Amino acid sequence: MLVKVKEFETFLHNCVKDNPKEIGQVIAACQVPVNPDSRFFIDIKEGKQLCLNSYRTVEPTRLLYYFTREQVEPFNRSDKKRIIVGVKACDLSALKLLDKALLEDDFQDPSYKYWRENTILISSDCQEFSSVCHCTIFDGKPWAEDGFDVNLSKVNDSYNIITGSSKGDFFIELLKRFVNISEQSSINQEKVKIKRQDYYNKLKEKNEKYTIESYSDLRVQDIKNWNKESKKCIGCGACTNICGICYCLILNDESTDDQFIKVRSTDSCQLNGYARVAGGDTPRPQMYDRFRNRYLCKFDYVQSKFNTYGCTGCGRCIEACPAEIDIREVVKNVKVVV
Amino acid sequence: MADKNPFKTIPAKIYEIVDESPLIRTIKVKPEINFPFQTGQFAEVSVPNIGEGPFTPSSPQSFGFNLEFTIMKTGFVTEHIHKTKVGDIIGLRGPFGSRYPIDEWKGKDVLIMGGGVGMAPTRSLFLSMVDNIDDYNSITFLIAARTPADMIYKDQIQEWSKIQKVKILKAVDKVPEGEKWDGDVCLVTKLLEKVKIKPKDNPAVTCGPPIMMKFGTLELLKYGYAEENIYLSMEKKMYCGHGQCRHCVMGKYYACKDGAVFTYDKIKNEEKIWE
Ligand code: SF4
Ligand code: SF4
Repeated sequence: MLVKVKEFETFLHNCVKDNPKEIGQVIAACQVPVNPDSRFFIDIKEGKQLCLNSYRTVEPTRLLYYFTREQVEPFNRSDKKRIIVGVKACDLSALKLLDKALLEDDFQDPSYKYWRENTILISSDCQEFSSVCHCTIFDGKPWAEDGFDVNLSKVNDSYNIITGSSKGDFFIELLKRFVNISEQSSINQEKVKIKRQDYYNKLKEKNEKYTIESYSDLRVQDIKNWNKESKKCIGCGACTNICGICYCLILNDESTDDQFIKVRSTDSCQLNGYARVAGGDTPRPQMYDRFRNRYLCKFDYVQSKFNTYGCTGCGRCIEACPAEIDIREVVKNVKVVV
Repeated sequence: MADKNPFKTIPAKIYEIVDESPLIRTIKVKPEINFPFQTGQFAEVSVPNIGEGPFTPSSPQSFGFNLEFTIMKTGFVTEHIHKTKVGDIIGLRGPFGSRYPIDEWKGKDVLIMGGGVGMAPTRSLFLSMVDNIDDYNSITFLIAARTPADMIYKDQIQEWSKIQKVKILKAVDKVPEGEKWDGDVCLVTKLLEKVKIKPKDNPAVTCGPPIMMKFGTLELLKYGYAEENIYLSMEKKMYCGHGQCRHCVMGKYYACKDGAVFTYDKIKNEEKIWE
């Protein structure tokens, strides 16, 4: 299907107003004038400038499904749907992993489940990169192949649209009521393919020097290397808080006299109190130990548990780190024999 | 987990409190709905508006409507548990984690080593087996504490010794002046010399401070127990209880979900199991 970019964006802006029964909120990747190089997820009711075809947003999509702070018990919400537009392939892989961890286990996080079920997720191909993007290292591609309800690929002044679920079909039904949709031509399809391959090659080339053969031996690397690599780390936890995947939590009891209330909020393994047990003992009192834990978690523990790395290569942690630590460099450096 | 929602909190009313030692108390609670658990599993116990912590019930597994928790004052949450009164409501989530496979131990000679706070889970284990004592060949229970005053369940231990097929030995590290003591003064591992050990195919459980479990395990291995028959309880920060928060991760395992009861062969190569 093919739809004009302009018409599509107008539809999004008016979506809540025009479909008050079905749609409660539209959140889209936007650009703001003060920070032209960054993209943010913003509720677009105030007519923000959309930026759907660039690289991923500053904040991970995870935080729209798994909030920094959220009441999880008791949990009840309305059943209007929300739409999130401009999600990137790296964040879709992150959600895939979160599904494994939070839905497909023998428990289900009720609020994550709610947001997953009540969100129409619209992804879009990356046609720009940030200097820290490195999804190709983990066999990622700058476009999504599955995991979306609807995907957009921009070609000239149109979006090539495909749907990936019944929620996607529902969205197209809404869209049809307001916007002209035409069949897409095979020439157009070919153009999407060529464009994608072109961006992929560029990104891959950029990250060539960071590609390493194996992550499975990180655990046996000399502790001295970890010590050296972690020297600059101040243990602030920015890297885990901004991560597309990290989902460690703290559960607070905020009960009232009549009711048990549980509030979940994010935690970071980089903080000293993280693994401390009652009485004060912690298995990782040293910074290099906690620093190393983050890498082992992503490339060893998560991998052996979920059969996929705990990193999508979104590069957010590199951007967020006040000490300018680059995850790609660290992995490479700890494997160097000193 | 009975419910897929791991955050569901069941109110439970405290109906009795027993002070076991200056730092350890047992609270007995009645949950609003049945809270069946299998011995070895734990619950997240919450004090309203304070917080929660993981505790293994010390009562036998058949008691879904009456649960007992024996809790040592060590930190913020436990301090508040120690402030509760009869009639107060606490919250329970769970039950979570692995269990002692006592149904697989039928016909066997079971060895249990418990010390300090590890007495709570081992009491539950011991009593759950005693409920069907005919099923087992024998139960040997080695109990340790730092001093006689720290030894909990004293009166009950007296009673337990009288049960057929049960042998109980107890030891303290030291006897301060003026305290009475009728057991041994040695490390719990020394007690092994005093009992008839039958390592072949039989299970051995150790539960207590990490240092005790470490040397207990090494000793049991020396005696010829198989790695897969040595059961340990990992004390990690089991925050959420169901393998979500990742605080208690041990390599590919969660202490809360794949444990807290592990057999030694499963975890021996993981990092920092004794810390
Ligand atoms: S953001 Fe950087 S300084 Fe902060 S904890 Fe992570 S690696 Fe360390
Ligand atoms: S570790 Fe860094 S690059 Fe990897 S998913 Fe998390 S934020 Fe992105």
